[in-house]
Amino acid sequence: MDLPEGLTTARARGLVGCTRCTRPSPAGTARCPRCGSPLQSRDPLSLQKVWAWWLVGFGCYIPANLYPMLETRTLVGSQSDTIVGGAIDLASHGNLGVAIIILIASVLIPVGKFVILAGLAIGVRHGPQISDHRRHILYEVVEYIGRWSMIDVFVVAILSSLVQLQALATITPGWASLFFALSVIFTMLAAQSFDSRLIWDTAADAKKPVAPQNEPSRERTA
Amino acid sequence: MTDTTPPEPTVKPARRALRDRISIVWVVPLLALAAVIAIAWQSYADRGPLIEIAFDNASGVRAGNTELRFRDVRVGLVEEMSFSDGLGKVLVRVRLDKSVAPYVDDDARFWVVRPQVTTQGVSGLGTVLSGVYIEGLWDDRPGETVTRFDGLSDAPLERVGKSGLRLTMRASDGAALTENTPILYRGVEVGRVGKPVISEDGTTSEAEAVIFAPHDRLIDSATRFWDTSGFSLSFGAGGAAVNFSSIASLVSGGITFDTMLSGGTPPEPGAQFTVYSEESEARASIFSSDTTGTLTLSVLFDGNIAGLSAGAPVELNGLRIGQVEALGGRVDEDASGESAVRLAVTLAIRPGRIGLDGADGPEAALDFLRARVREGLRARLATASILTGGLKVELIEVADAPAAELVEPTGAPPILPTTDNEIADVQATAEGVFERINALPVEEVMDEAITLMRNANILVAGDDTRAIPGNVNSLLSDARALPPRLDATLAQLETLVAQINEDALTTRLASLLDEAAEAARGVSTASDGVPDLVARLEGIAANAEKVDLDVLAADLAAFLESTGTLLAQGDTRALPRQLNATLAEVSLVLEQLRDGGVVENTVATLDSARSAADTFAAAGGDLPGLIAEARAVLARAGTTLEGYQASGGMGRDARTALREVEAAAKAVASLARAIERNPNSLIRGR
Repeated sequence: MDLPEGLTTARARGLVGCTRCTRPSPAGTARCPRCGSPLQSRDPLSLQKVWAWWLVGFGCYIPANLYPMLETRTLVGSQSDTIVGGAIDLASHGNLGVAIIILIASVLIPVGKFVILAGLAIGVRHGPQISDHRRHILYEVVEYIGRWSMIDVFVVAILSSLVQLQALATITPGWASLFFALSVIFTMLAAQSFDSRLIWDTAADAKKPVAPQNEPSRERTA
Repeated sequence: MTDTTPPEPTVKPARRALRDRISIVWVVPLLALAAVIAIAWQSYADRGPLIEIAFDNASGVRAGNTELRFRDVRVGLVEEMSFSDGLGKVLVRVRLDKSVAPYVDDDARFWVVRPQVTTQGVSGLGTVLSGVYIEGLWDDRPGETVTRFDGLSDAPLERVGKSGLRLTMRASDGAALTENTPILYRGVEVGRVGKPVISEDGTTSEAEAVIFAPHDRLIDSATRFWDTSGFSLSFGAGGAAVNFSSIASLVSGGITFDTMLSGGTPPEPGAQFTVYSEESEARASIFSSDTTGTLTLSVLFDGNIAGLSAGAPVELNGLRIGQVEALGGRVDEDASGESAVRLAVTLAIRPGRIGLDGADGPEAALDFLRARVREGLRARLATASILTGGLKVELIEVADAPAAELVEPTGAPPILPTTDNEIADVQATAEGVFERINALPVEEVMDEAITLMRNANILVAGDDTRAIPGNVNSLLSDARALPPRLDATLAQLETLVAQINEDALTTRLASLLDEAAEAARGVSTASDGVPDLVARLEGIAANAEKVDLDVLAADLAAFLESTGTLLAQGDTRALPRQLNATLAEVSLVLEQLRDGGVVENTVATLDSARSAADTFAAAGGDLPGLIAEARAVLARAGTTLEGYQASGGMGRDARTALREVEAAAKAVASLARAIERNPNSLIRGR
């Protein structure tokens, strides 16, 4: 991290901050003396967790796009649309705005999340291609925006609970809505698992190539 | 750093457990993977076979959407659709559920259910909204798996749980087959007719039909079907009648059947039956349609066979045993060598009708016929219907027939000998009847009747006629006064008889007669006076007998004649007046009769008779004197009777008048009735 001159990180000072209550404790303290949560200067398994959640989330995102999101049964027939198919359908009917919103909320944002998370994780391991400040902003955006992806699922849930007019019209959620919700949940977990402090380390590493790569050993030395 | 503690050994990776190096979170993707694999395997393992159904028309079937249903439950889904080679058919591939797959063997049938509106009702209405589906039908026995099927273009006749005997119906002339027509038996629907198609030879229409179990056992080879659709209108003595079996059959038609003969064999599935337009036709057809076991005979008739047609009955002692198959002529040489055209009639005899069925039916029947022909069995033409003049062929036993044999030419049917035809000449008989009717003097009778009616009408219409009832009434009241007087007379008579009884006249007469007998024996001279007395008595009796009836009858006849003359004269105005006058006279006579007439005379006579009897009694001992006196008395009595006869002319007149009045009253009464029945006759004059 680009620190102003004369400033050092807590880690450099042999301290470890509690991620929950933010109280700094001496390095090596197992538990936060204030809130009792386990203290770790860096999560050594962070990247593993990120990748694990990322993979499950991505796996769920595939059927979420293949299966129909909504099944609409009306008097004259039934219709089931996938996310993209529905958006295209809407666009062809002239609802370009709605189509764009759906595409952004259901395609652009989840895909962007996958790409950013993967990029962050790769950057931590193999060296960043962009500045750590930007990476941090991206991380913040991903974590903030993650919960809003659930809006699709909410729309489906509300529609299917409201439109139950027996024979006239019935909307039931398709399999895709379940997978989409799972995908959102898993990507949120992946984003949460990402230890954002690692971004700083790589920035520091980039500045001080002498610093050891192995965090645990660094932790020990710290 | 002032920490003096030596650094701990840093070499610990080996001790660091897997748990530290690898996050527990990896379990989640592993579980997800396992779930995916499990689901994929299960769905693969659970999915049934893919069958292919070829349809001519798969309208409404959509891949991934159209279901295959069995008993209205989804058992499969259309996965894809394509065309067969040459684009002749639509191939629909259906993924079957594994549970039903074993049952879908080569007897399975598939069709597309679409909404249908027929006269029988609306079916498949649900498919209007839900889209079509494919219905499958198969039995409950697992069989070998077949993957290629030909779809039906229409729903089959059977339904699940309603299997039955499949037949082929052929419509005869005049009968019409309609899809979904119910087959009724005693009013119960026992089957259904499928979609009719034109038969291969193009002459009629054919349709599949099914008789649902267990009613299929009603069908055998002797069963005949006929059309009961529409209605029949009949007029008869009981009025007009409209007959139709049911409203449904009125609209959509109906077919019913009956088994005409016993001993039919159960039909094969798919057996062909003809649907006749009427029951009578169906019944008649039992001879024409079934040619198995028939015996063909030939008969050569001389003379005119007009009225005989193919299909005419052949009867043996009134029992129909066959029918005329064909008519034709042939030049034949008779015994004298003259060649003439003779009319050959081919007969088809069913030996089964005379109990000669079985394996060797025709041969046995031929033997039977040979024997019978020797005994005098002959064919003749007879009148089948006197109205149409139709003829039938009768086989009868002729007692004294000339010997003949059943001629059996090779290659041609045996020829039955003939006898004289019995053709009723209806025309001639009817003509004779009509001539007799023509000869009747209907016109004259009618004219006279009309004249009579007119006369009577004018008479009744006359004003004087009205006066008659009043006169009749007064006359009747006068007549009513008579009985008391007659009663008095009778009482006097009774008194007389009692007196006679009291005087013991009887015993005295008996003794008198005894004495008379003695006297007769003793005195022979007196004997010649007795026959004279007897003769006179007889004369008196004869007079008394003759008095009334003849004269009365003559008078009545004269009166009736004069009445008739009067009516015929048409002097109608005078008649009522005369009648009135007559009635007045009658009442006068009656009054005279009552005032000083016959009754008193009679009483007096009877009184004198009593005194005479007394005298007779007193003079009982003196026989000759008695006889003389008796003679005198009898003579006097005869005179009195004669006088009575003379004076009785008045009574006779009265009686005659009464009869006349009675006749007049009857005539009036009948006229009154006639008017009452038909008051218009007064106005219209008839």
